[in-house]
Amino acid sequence: MGDQELEFAQRWRDNAYGCFSSGHKFCREVCPVMQVTRNENHTPTAFHASIVAMEKGLVNVEDVADDFVHCTQCGACELRCPNTLMTGDFYRHRTRTVDVVKAMRALMVETGNEREAWKLWNERLALDHNEPVLGDTRVSQAHVADWAIGLDIPVGGETILFVDCEAAFFRTSYTRAFAQLLQKAGFAFGLMREQWCCGGPAAEMGYQDLALKHATHNVEDWRAVGAKRIIAPDPHDYIAFTEDYPKYFGEDYEFEIVLGVELVNDLVKDGRIALTHPVERTVTYHDPCRLNKRKGVHEAPRELIRAIPGLTFKDVDRVTQWSYCSGGGGGLPIEKPEITREISRRRVAKAAELEVDTLISACPWSERPLSEAGHEANLGVMDLFELVAVSAGIEP
Amino acid sequence: MRGVAFKSAVDDHVLDELRAIIGDDARVRPDQSSRAFRSRVPAPFPVHRWADHFPDVVILPKTAVEVSEVVKLANRHRIPIVPRAGGTGLSDGAVPLRGGIMIDCKLMNQIHEIDLVDRTVTVGPGINMLKLNEELRKYGVIYPDDPASYPCSLVGGRIGTGGWSLLGARYGHTRDLVISMEVVLPTGEIVEISEGGGRKLRKSSTGLTLKQLFTGHQGTLGITTQATLELVPRPETEFAAFFAFDDYMKAYETVGVLTRCGLATLAGVVLFDEWKIAYLRRDDEAYIPQPESVKAVVAVAMYGRRLEVEPASREIMRLGRSRGGRYLGDEISAGDWASRHDRYATPLHGRDLDGQAVIMSWHCEDAALNYSVLPQVREEWHAIVARYRERYGIFDDWGMFAYTSGPHKPWADYLVEIDVGIWEQKLDDETWAAWVSCKREIAEVSLRYGGSITACHGATREGDAELVPQELGSAWPVVKAIKRALDPNNVMNPGKQSLDEAYE
Ligand SMILES: Cc1cc2nc3c(=O)[nH]c(=O)nc-3n(C[C@H](O)[C@H](O)[C@H](O)COP(=O)(O)OP(=O)(O)OC[C@H]3O[C@@H](n4cnc5c(N)ncnc54)[C@H](O)[C@@H]3O)c2cc1C
Ligand code: SF4
Ligand code: SF4
Repeated sequence: MGDQELEFAQRWRDNAYGCFSSGHKFCREVCPVMQVTRNENHTPTAFHASIVAMEKGLVNVEDVADDFVHCTQCGACELRCPNTLMTGDFYRHRTRTVDVVKAMRALMVETGNEREAWKLWNERLALDHNEPVLGDTRVSQAHVADWAIGLDIPVGGETILFVDCEAAFFRTSYTRAFAQLLQKAGFAFGLMREQWCCGGPAAEMGYQDLALKHATHNVEDWRAVGAKRIIAPDPHDYIAFTEDYPKYFGEDYEFEIVLGVELVNDLVKDGRIALTHPVERTVTYHDPCRLNKRKGVHEAPRELIRAIPGLTFKDVDRVTQWSYCSGGGGGLPIEKPEITREISRRRVAKAAELEVDTLISACPWSERPLSEAGHEANLGVMDLFELVAVSAGIEP
Repeated sequence: MRGVAFKSAVDDHVLDELRAIIGDDARVRPDQSSRAFRSRVPAPFPVHRWADHFPDVVILPKTAVEVSEVVKLANRHRIPIVPRAGGTGLSDGAVPLRGGIMIDCKLMNQIHEIDLVDRTVTVGPGINMLKLNEELRKYGVIYPDDPASYPCSLVGGRIGTGGWSLLGARYGHTRDLVISMEVVLPTGEIVEISEGGGRKLRKSSTGLTLKQLFTGHQGTLGITTQATLELVPRPETEFAAFFAFDDYMKAYETVGVLTRCGLATLAGVVLFDEWKIAYLRRDDEAYIPQPESVKAVVAVAMYGRRLEVEPASREIMRLGRSRGGRYLGDEISAGDWASRHDRYATPLHGRDLDGQAVIMSWHCEDAALNYSVLPQVREEWHAIVARYRERYGIFDDWGMFAYTSGPHKPWADYLVEIDVGIWEQKLDDETWAAWVSCKREIAEVSLRYGGSITACHGATREGDAELVPQELGSAWPVVKAIKRALDPNNVMNPGKQSLDEAYE
């Protein structure tokens, strides 16, 4: 057992004992990964028990490295945990499974127990400063704003639109829809001079230095153009900017972070975006983990959906959705694509039971796996912003 | 090891054989982490001796045939087999005492058949009740096994422990709800166990009734690989009422009145004592604090059709108040009942001798007792825990409750539980031994009052497993003969329930 491991175990032990001492696994059946693999090693309980076991010298990082890949960092287990539910309010206690997973992955990197696909992914991130979301086709700074061609968006200003890697290079229609909605509302915003990956996924996979480097670059870019406000349409970026960045930069982190879906919802409510074109579809909504479970944001997207004329909305309550996930987060699709595929397949099957023609999501990372699963099940998958844009009469 | 010799460990040769049977290396797991996490359950545990409980290898079978072949192999080599479902059992049933092969049945979680005509559902042992009911709900039926571990325990483990359901008074417990099952015997044969021969019959008189034998054996007689379960109409409505009392005996009398009222929709009556109220009050905003004068609470729940439950609830309100009970209001009643699965094992409720919050694990010592003896047992149990708490400082008394237990006849039998917090991180050999003896003293009281040492969790652990022969008394030789006949080599979960005595 290395010093790093012992130190790590000691740092996390008190938190881990909060779970180890109950260990009843109420979290298990909501965990999207566990629902697929049914392997007890992939439960939050096991993650916490690993820390205790490590402290006792019973396992080392190498033993548990593969286990810790099995998490999308969706946060469902934290919410479902009675320790969060029953004593959470009093102690401001929330079972910290996501943090434990991130920390263990960082230890995996530090101790040379990296996973191959993650390593490769982050090597390419280090090289190109954006994630290799196009597979063998390289991404580059030269093309980071290609999605905006023809939209006349300035660079710089007080309000900056931050575009996620997936949304900048792969699902560009989503990004265009979002930007055009803001333009329609007359809401002023600019782009970064040089936009690097937010670093969130790197941090999720354990590549902390790389994450920090990217965060630092972005914050410097924001400061250089005098930004005060950052808009994050992508829930993953929103997590990075509201959770990771404040940890990196502490008191000096001066930015107001605005969540895209809340902004658009406000603009619609204020009458600045008129939704006049009916959309004749029967839809249900997939709560992205980073919004509902991680941030408690479930009202704004529903309000937006209800504001679209013509839609028939078959909702599932947000708590039921704790046990759903697309499988697209936390780096899982990079290392274990087959598990992501199965999680998405199950999510889409649940939607299909409601006899809808469209599943609406609000997170670009969920849309690739959900769309693939939707394609197989003959169910449309659409992004909320794209749907809102259609209703607002925006030509893509 | 008494009676039968074991291989010390699963060697490479055995591993190869296992891999050949399963044909998928990912489902044969001899790695350290797979073993470590399957060597404990939520019950307090000698953490300092964790490694003593590791299985040698974990198998994740998908079919009964795989289970059967693995068991045959184990029987041939005299290797212990430990079945594990959810791993939430509170009596260490799914914890290996002597290593060996662990059969983890979580991948066997399919719903094989839903029969809405003869009202059964057939499932694999790895399915969870909550998940099963998510599927069943759309057909207007449910499987009504509802332990406090409803979100986490699995059907196989429910059968293994002979579990007890919170709604048992209305719908019965696991053993009443399992209609038939497929079992792999300790020698590897796959057999159908049912009432007589019919897979979906609830009662027959042909031959011996074997079903009960294969419920509650804690994995010592075989492994359930499939079960056909009872479906009941999804209750149209539920009603829960909580009443506060300033005196335990008045609450106790009220429980008697409520359970004897004869209403068929009655699903459960619970009596919480003063210690339990104090526990529930601790830092827990779900339980709205009651004045100090509250010394006991009685909770009652009803399930069924609206046309039955609604008029009956008026009678319940009258009876609940008849001995001075004060209704705690709709908010507490509905809210507390709704959170009934989540109220356990909150380690942050632990208190050391100075009243400081420390993270403790939850142990519940449960007994089956008659109504007549509840007050006396309560006093003796609290006195035992107080003694150990004073002396060792690492225990806490989390109170007691008594809960209706007799299915469809809720008046006389109670599941009685004392919950004890244990500061697991502080355990060493001495305090662990103290804990085991505390547990034994509690169990001895149950026997002295004509009760049973467990109503649901099973007498499987150190502390009470030793008392099984005493409790079963003149029937013990019969039990030993059955064990020996079915498991000639003592491979099924050896060391549990004092069944090693069968081989002496
Ligand atoms: C928070 C909490 C609340 C609880 N509340 C209750 C309650 O209200 N009522 C109650 O009865 N219990 C309760 N329990 C304990 C209860 O015993 C278990 O939750 C449950 O019955 C065990 O199910 P499991 O799937 O986790 O089984 P496991 O713990 O995996 O196994 C239990 C036993 O069954 C055996 N077994 C497992 N699978 C099989 C199989 N396929 N065939 C044969 N044997 C098998 C094991 O060897 C073991 O001996 C509670 C536990 C917790 C953690
Ligand atoms: S994370 Fe919470 S719900 Fe899950 S096992 Fe730990 S304490 Fe129980
Ligand atoms: S964060 Fe999500 S994926 Fe990770 S352990 Fe918790 S429930 Fe499972």
